[in-house]
Amino acid sequence: MATDKELSDFLKSVEKRAFKRTAYTVRNDDAALDIVQDAMIRLAEKYADRPPAELPLVFQRILSNATMDWFRRQKVRNSLIVNLSEFEGADDDGGDFDLLELLDTSNGQSGTESAADSVGRTQILQLIDAQVQELPARQREAFLLRYWEELDVAETASVMGCSEGSVKTHCSRAVHALAKALRAKGVTL
Amino acid sequence: MNEPLQPIVVLRNVEALQARVALRVTAALSEYQALGSSPDVDARLRFAREQALAAARRVRTVSAAAPASIGMSGGAAVLGGVPDATPWWLRLGSLLPLAILLAGLMLIDHHYTRSQIEAAAEVDAAILTDELPPEAYRDRGFVEFLKTASP
Repeated sequence: MATDKELSDFLKSVEKRAFKRTAYTVRNDDAALDIVQDAMIRLAEKYADRPPAELPLVFQRILSNATMDWFRRQKVRNSLIVNLSEFEGADDDGGDFDLLELLDTSNGQSGTESAADSVGRTQILQLIDAQVQELPARQREAFLLRYWEELDVAETASVMGCSEGSVKTHCSRAVHALAKALRAKGVTL
Repeated sequence: MNEPLQPIVVLRNVEALQARVALRVTAALSEYQALGSSPDVDARLRFAREQALAAARRVRTVSAAAPASIGMSGGAAVLGGVPDATPWWLRLGSLLPLAILLAGLMLIDHHYTRSQIEAAAEVDAAILTDELPPEAYRDRGFVEFLKTASP
């Protein structure tokens, strides 16, 4: 059973990423904060007795469900039709794109950045943030769960309710799309 | 001479390359998040965290108050909501006054019915054992005689 401190530390460690991930999806900071709060309380009320090691996966699942609940409520409230095609995403896998082009350049520049470049660096980070937000929802979710939340493929598949193969495909497409878009804008990491 | 790479080796290289790009992107996201952290958002997240911790404490308090027998059911009891902590004998005891009331009402009803039957039987017995035939009481003159003759 997780103690108060373990639960608090866990929530503190995930809350900002959880907020950002939700904000990417719902594109509304206030709604994202509400969803994260709802997910935190659900976790605390129903799963606080779980061992600390189980909390990350359970929390991500609760957060995903809370986000879907929010979309459902919005759909009912506004009588809007959610564009499901967004969740599937475009087949923009950039199969022929060479990822090394992005990395090779970045390796050469990472050690030469100075304080004078900080403004430029912020703009680059902003651009990366925007490109992540532009990803199709399912690709973005898989990418963030897998690489930002550091879940493995099976855990990501469990949270997303899809197969491990789908997770790999979504991640691959997301990485290629990001690399292609960033390179097109002259951004290096 | 260089031999062509096996497909599985190429696939692993591609996956490793993807992972490297992905980790740099997510590192950039973390960096951007740290730079652009809003005090309002931080305050809201802290409030949410405190609410969650308070909820966890509440659940723990309720669970601790429940008897050990309920604790034996483990997580299922917690997931299924807060269990009723009243022991069975106490719940049975709360039904006792109702049972006594019902028994009393039935006893009163039985006693009243029995007394009515006994009264009717006494009247019937008196009429049948009397020297006068029962038909005499139908006679108006005799009834009038009884009224005027009685003190």
